Amino acid sequence: MKHPIQILIADKSGEHIFASVTNHLLVLRASDGKLIGSWVDPVDAQEFQEKRFKARMEEQKKKEEANEDENAAKKLKNNKKEPKVPAPGPGAPTIYNYIRSLTLSRDESYLIGTTDSDKAAVIFKIDYSQDNCLSLVKRQVFPKRPCSVLTTLDDEKVVVADKFGDVYEIQGKDSAVVAEKDLVPILGHVSMLSEVIVAEHDGKQFVLTGDRDEHIKVSHYPKSYVVRNWLFGHHEFVSCLQICPFNEDILVSGGGDDYLLVWNWWEKKELAKVELRELVAPFLTDSHLPPERFFREDSPREICISKVRVYEQGDQKLLVVLCENTKCILTFSFNEDMSLTHKQTLSTTDSIIDFVIVSDAVLAAVDVESEDNLLQLFRFDDSCSLHHEDSDLTKVISKSVECEVSGRADFYPLYYISSLRKRSEH
Amino acid sequence: MLIAHRTAYLLSHRLCQIYRINPTSNMSLDSDKEAQIRHQRESELKRKAYRDMKEETRKVLKHARIETPTPEPDAVGLPRKRFYRQRAHSNPFSDHRLDYPQEPSCMEWQKLYPHYFDETTGTMSKNVEIADIGCGYGGLLIQLATAFPEKLSLGMEIRVQVTQYVEDRIIALREQNKDAEQYQNVAVLRGNAMKFTPNFFFKGQLSKMFFCFPDPHFKQRKHKARIITSTLLSEYAYVLREGGIIYTITDVEDLHKWMAKHLEEHPLFERKSVEWEKNDKCVQLMMNSTEEGQKVERNKGSKYVACFERLPTPEDCD
Ligand SMILES: C[S@@+](CC[C@H](N)C(=O)[O-])C[C@H]1O[C@@H](n2cnc3c(N)ncnc32)[C@H](O)[C@@H]1O
Repeated sequence: MKHPIQILIADKSGEHIFASVTNHLLVLRASDGKLIGSWVDPVDAQEFQEKRFKARMEEQKKKEEANEDENAAKKLKNNKKEPKVPAPGPGAPTIYNYIRSLTLSRDESYLIGTTDSDKAAVIFKIDYSQDNCLSLVKRQVFPKRPCSVLTTLDDEKVVVADKFGDVYEIQGKDSAVVAEKDLVPILGHVSMLSEVIVAEHDGKQFVLTGDRDEHIKVSHYPKSYVVRNWLFGHHEFVSCLQICPFNEDILVSGGGDDYLLVWNWWEKKELAKVELRELVAPFLTDSHLPPERFFREDSPREICISKVRVYEQGDQKLLVVLCENTKCILTFSFNEDMSLTHKQTLSTTDSIIDFVIVSDAVLAAVDVESEDNLLQLFRFDDSCSLHHEDSDLTKVISKSVECEVSGRADFYPLYYISSLRKRSEH
Repeated sequence: MLIAHRTAYLLSHRLCQIYRINPTSNMSLDSDKEAQIRHQRESELKRKAYRDMKEETRKVLKHARIETPTPEPDAVGLPRKRFYRQRAHSNPFSDHRLDYPQEPSCMEWQKLYPHYFDETTGTMSKNVEIADIGCGYGGLLIQLATAFPEKLSLGMEIRVQVTQYVEDRIIALREQNKDAEQYQNVAVLRGNAMKFTPNFFFKGQLSKMFFCFPDPHFKQRKHKARIITSTLLSEYAYVLREGGIIYTITDVEDLHKWMAKHLEEHPLFERKSVEWEKNDKCVQLMMNSTEEGQKVERNKGSKYVACFERLPTPEDCD
């Protein structure tokens, strides 16, 4: 049995599909599903953690030796024991070696991923004339786990948002790696970041960041120390931000709320609120209940939006929406005033992990225990309705996946957005 | 109202009963440790009862305007700090159950400053202009009330009981100075300034922000927990108007250097001269009015001051 595909993206033309499965990256030709590029992350997560831990201990020891007296004085003052770095051992939580996010540069000549194992961004040059179209340009390690990356308009810089709330920028194209201690954030939140976007208005660039405390912040770029404004409207965490290609001032945001918001981010205006609860309710299961520790008799099943994408056909503009761990895809059509009208609820046989729009179809990675088919294809008809299509493509692509597992128990966590939800501690 | 007064009275009565409990009875049977634990529990009960009593008074008086009848004199006396003691550190990263407005326009300031609410228009006649971030027990805030009688000042504090202490202190001062109508222009709220400052204030709303004796977070790995970091300064710059001032003071030289360095490096801030500091009345105020400042004074520690002006936003950033 094969491990399910976790991330799917595609280039604008829909000619190439990029997929990640555990620590494997695959590049596939959309016309026939042929594997044209691949990469396996050689970093062993556990080993890396142990190495980093050892290095830290060394450093700490050195420091302690260097200012023995000062430390002793501080310790007395604080009247507290020095906290120890937790040692990874048999009891420690498993560290999964997988790719958390994947994106293309704007000119589509670079592929950028982030790894959980060593908290790095990996940047690949794409060259379709090579046997393996992916070649690693660099691996930049960050102090905290990167969650989302995007390139600037000119693709010169890669903007990286991390788990600690900080945003960094690194050179996108050269192979120079910056030492961890020399990395300085260009902006930050005091909250885990879930998504970063570089948007444009009138030739000027802006960085939009979404966090676990319902905040969306708009900062100028490159003068990222100037905050332009916040977009207030969410009550729960923000997990997706999507700029509409037909009008770059329009932003769709969603996360832990029962609704999506449509904004004119430039004018700082909320344009529409799209309620999802009623539509998604039939697809929610007990897996959408809060973790046991926080479960109460009246706890509702919770909705987490995992992806929104725009599809255009002629004058028709559609929003395709996926809620985490559900067996459905929702589509909405954009009206003139940017309000959204529900168009279709496509129910699927399996839960969808991720999807990508490839030309006039939705290709979905599904949560199945299967040896030969890890994907499903749904094609838009002339009236923009999605229909399931039996296609060889899904099987051909699945063949290229080499991650064998013995059963569901060996799957990496496929759904983690729900863990962003804040549960009160005090 | 009457019922609330009665509750306050009953609570203070209950408090007396608790006081009378003899923590050492049965001592011979208990081990020292058990006695100690029981004693701690009883002291916490006492403190809790005291705070509950104060809470009832607070409920009555918090939103009261001048015409409110006078409550039990005992209940509105200046609060005693020892009943509000709390662990020194609060984790600014954790998901506290906090109350904060969805956005600045949703903030009901009239609940904090009822005297400045114009009922005919339903709006506030003044907006908060001065913020004391991490105000602790409120010493500076109280001084600001009379030093800037025309301005609204706000203390923001993350620890619940410390916030309640300041709240009760303001309530008592308002009561005691009813005739002069003083202390109506200061208020405190519980909040995490590192996360939610922009939820409370509009762009450019503030003219002064105080950071007095902030928690030092000595360890390198904890530096992001500091209340002044380069990334947070951009958010403070957003709520500060051009020409507004950030005041910092600390007794920890390392922290002073660190704050000054980050402010100096931030393109939207410029350091004020020592000369300026000498002539600024707020610098004088923050030197000695805060509880932390007084403690440092008693221990004959040093105090390091650094003040910075918010520079104009670059022209190409609208
Ligand atoms: C050392 S005390 C100083 C108090 C007061 N300014 C003084 O000088 O006496 C620092 C205060 O900041 C508060 N604090 C720490 N982080 C905070 C945050 N993120 N938001 C609001 N208050 C905070 C702490 O609870 C504490 O009361």
